[in-house]
Amino acid sequence: MSLRRFIVRRLLLIVPILFGVSVITFSLVHLTPGDPISRMVAQNPNVAPADEAQLRAQYGLDGPVWEQYLTWIGNVVTGDLGDVYGTNRTVSEVLFLRLPETVALGVFGWLFALGIAIPTGVYAAVRKGTVGDTVSRVVALSGASVPNFWLGLLLILAFVLWAGWWNVQPPREPLYHPSMLWHLILPGITVGTAACASIMRVLRSSMAEELNKEYTTAARAKGLPERQVVYKHVLRNSLSSVVTLVATLTAGIVAGAIVVEVVFAWPGLGQELVEAIHGHEINLVVAITLFTGLFVVLCNLLADIIYAVLDPRIRYE
Amino acid sequence: MNQWDNRSSKALTRRQLLSGVGSAVVVTTAGCLTEDDEVSFPLGVQLEVDTDNSDRLEWTAAIAQMMESTGYFEVDVEEHDFDDFLERVFEDDYPQYGHVPFLSLSGTFNPESYCDSLHGTANRGQCCNLNGLGYDELDELIDRARFGTDVADDPQLRERRYDEVWHELAEFRGSSIITFLTEEYVRRAAVRGFSPYPFSEWTLKYALHSPSEEALTWVDRNAQRPAETDWSDYQEGGTLRYGIGANISSFDPPYSTDTHSVAAQSLIFEGLTTMDAEGNIYPWLAKRYEALDVQDIDRRAYEPYMTTVPTDEKGVLEFGEGGPVQAVAVHPDDDRIDDDEARVLTPEGAADAVDEGVYGMQYRYHLQEGVAFHNGEELTADHVVSTVERYENSDMSSQTFDSVLHVDAVDEYTVDIYAQVPDAEAERELPGFEIHALEQAELGANEIDPLEGEAPIGTGPYEFEEFEDGQYFVATKNDGYWLEENGLDTLEWYDGPDGFPAGPVIDEIDIDIISDDSTRSAALQNGEIDVTFGLVSSTLNEYDSDDGYIVDSVQSGGYQFFQYPVTVEPWDDHRLRKAVNHLVPREQIVDEVLDGWGEPAWTMLPELAHGTGTADYDALESELREKNEFDPDAAVELIKEVIEDRGYDSSVQQ
Repeated sequence: MSLRRFIVRRLLLIVPILFGVSVITFSLVHLTPGDPISRMVAQNPNVAPADEAQLRAQYGLDGPVWEQYLTWIGNVVTGDLGDVYGTNRTVSEVLFLRLPETVALGVFGWLFALGIAIPTGVYAAVRKGTVGDTVSRVVALSGASVPNFWLGLLLILAFVLWAGWWNVQPPREPLYHPSMLWHLILPGITVGTAACASIMRVLRSSMAEELNKEYTTAARAKGLPERQVVYKHVLRNSLSSVVTLVATLTAGIVAGAIVVEVVFAWPGLGQELVEAIHGHEINLVVAITLFTGLFVVLCNLLADIIYAVLDPRIRYE
Repeated sequence: MNQWDNRSSKALTRRQLLSGVGSAVVVTTAGCLTEDDEVSFPLGVQLEVDTDNSDRLEWTAAIAQMMESTGYFEVDVEEHDFDDFLERVFEDDYPQYGHVPFLSLSGTFNPESYCDSLHGTANRGQCCNLNGLGYDELDELIDRARFGTDVADDPQLRERRYDEVWHELAEFRGSSIITFLTEEYVRRAAVRGFSPYPFSEWTLKYALHSPSEEALTWVDRNAQRPAETDWSDYQEGGTLRYGIGANISSFDPPYSTDTHSVAAQSLIFEGLTTMDAEGNIYPWLAKRYEALDVQDIDRRAYEPYMTTVPTDEKGVLEFGEGGPVQAVAVHPDDDRIDDDEARVLTPEGAADAVDEGVYGMQYRYHLQEGVAFHNGEELTADHVVSTVERYENSDMSSQTFDSVLHVDAVDEYTVDIYAQVPDAEAERELPGFEIHALEQAELGANEIDPLEGEAPIGTGPYEFEEFEDGQYFVATKNDGYWLEENGLDTLEWYDGPDGFPAGPVIDEIDIDIISDDSTRSAALQNGEIDVTFGLVSSTLNEYDSDDGYIVDSVQSGGYQFFQYPVTVEPWDDHRLRKAVNHLVPREQIVDEVLDGWGEPAWTMLPELAHGTGTADYDALESELREKNEFDPDAAVELIKEVIEDRGYDSSVQQ
């Protein structure tokens, strides 16, 4: 099968996957007790059950789950993700307002992860067994283990409160403003740390393996400078193992963004999702989850494509 | 203003999100006491608590331990996610399970909020009578304290009636109030003269400028301690940065029920009256008001003006074509849920009733003249009438139309508000709406929304400037504020010093939204915000001992309680309930769990409602405190009495 056919088939598969994600999310949200109305009236002893039902009817939250789902999916097919409860804003509006912030955070996370992981991974593999290798492995293991909300708070303590290099809150500037990009460094580090650690560890072990292979010896025997051996031949071959990680790591970064955005008061989709879950904003929760699902599926596909490009021998059956 | 107190739950963690799904299963499998279970001691008891508030978990454990240490109880503590817990305790069958739910609730200045919610028969299965408690004598006592021409006319009688309620509840002991909660505001020393209000919704409105108590906040960035300063030292100008823990979800007053939205709106909108920190009411946009008439009627008197409306099985009124119509009142003999139809008083019917002289009370409000809205409109009686119309069928309609019958413009600056029944709370309840500009009075639900190009317009001291969803809200001083234009002399009741400013002196209010408590605390330490609230009690002590910060603690009307399953044997014996009440270590809980940030509840009446809820609080406390003291010996005596009188089995060795 050609790569193009493979891509088309995978793209078509997205539809049933997203359908599944929407059904699961929708039913999970409904399985958890409460809806926007119950939170609202639980706050008020003066609201009788009949008043509550009246409000629910006004907001279209009465009726069984499957009926609500059918209405919802019917709207989604026409591109209407619904309104945010308690406002007249549409869900898509909110989604696209918050999306750039999360994308920026994710990109920073990735830049940080790759920027640190590749050099240290190479270093550790080349200097395998040295003190530097051990230190970098311990740091990487800690990086992979530390919960990111805690790391975030620690960074705030060190670089905001003690060093005074940043403010807790983002500056009131558009996203592309230099001061905003500068502000993204701490949350970027926080969200990227786990990915950085994983990449570094995988890269180290796969490079260590490649370094022992015959083609490496051959390249060295040819008299190529060591730099060229490591970066041009070994690294390139080792990277394919990293690429397979990209999809899972990206999913990790997206999930991490939820917590990191709350800790850093960063107004992205993650923070919106937390608020939405808290307020039982069903439409918004489902939409953000769907969106995340779509994103992860696309990342997986992208990883497969890059894989094929990096290693032309790979073909999909 | 009533709300669940779950302040520690604002920062939702992933763990909590996930636990919501898992624990839903518990609801269906949790134990039910079957009827033929023989009662024997040690008695198995299940205490139930939500996991949102770690302090609450701690004192539930403390009480469980005290109960077990008597040897007469075997206690299980079951924890639930907050939403699961709410769902669970509101189930119809919940009272029969025989469990003991632990919760907290916030009351108001109205003493009724400390007795009726937990104990009134009408609140069974909803907020917050969770144990099926209810008997006519108690309902009548509670009712008589608030409603009726006698208490509406005689505040002292009302206070004595409430004292009867507190005594009855202490004797019956359907629930135990553990502590009264306080709200702590932490501010930088640069913020001068800040006086917190019991409800965080109104703190800005009250603290920034309250002539009735000469409370005035100003900002002095060069301030040195001591913080004790008189308002006359005030400085004009500057920006106050106020940190809050959740987004401002709405700027539309009839469609907002959450604290943070109401707090932001309180800068922009004003009502006919205002309140000080003790709940005393002062005329505000109304320069004065009076009760013109009180009639001895109940809601059955509106029967001739009611229309019959079909209802569905959930109690939803089906008005048919033309959209929903506000049900001002439903006939007290009709049940919207069980019956197929109900007799309903519509706004039209209410107007007819008032025309023919049928109403509970008539209040007349004389409006201030020369009050300009931010868009230049001048306040008239029409504004009041159309505001109340906008509250019809809104999220706030049940709170509004539980007391308001009808509003009538008498002339340009005079408006009458009619109450449905004679009600001692009417003065506070009737004018409970934020006056809208006519420009926005016709807008549909949730249409006042700056993100959709419709910024809120009020008469308040601050105007809407900028709002970034989930990030910040900026309000700037209203240069044409009516009180500053007209002077303090227009407040007929004001008898304070002449030099007191007629409006807030701070130029700009910056509300920063930072949902994580630790992050908000870091922002305070880093000088990015000046005031915040809702921080965890352990950090409060650090701020308290730091000269750069001031911690203000104020009773917030919140109370922590648990309820006894009064319908299940042996809990139907009030002596057993009293025994457990003697096992509640109230002082120890405040000192050790709350780090001193709270008050032990010796009565059911917090300081907030002392004004109208008792004839003499000191007398009440000295009479009731003994019944609420921690006293394991007395508890054991009572339990032994129950076992002996009722012939229960007991294997407890003493």
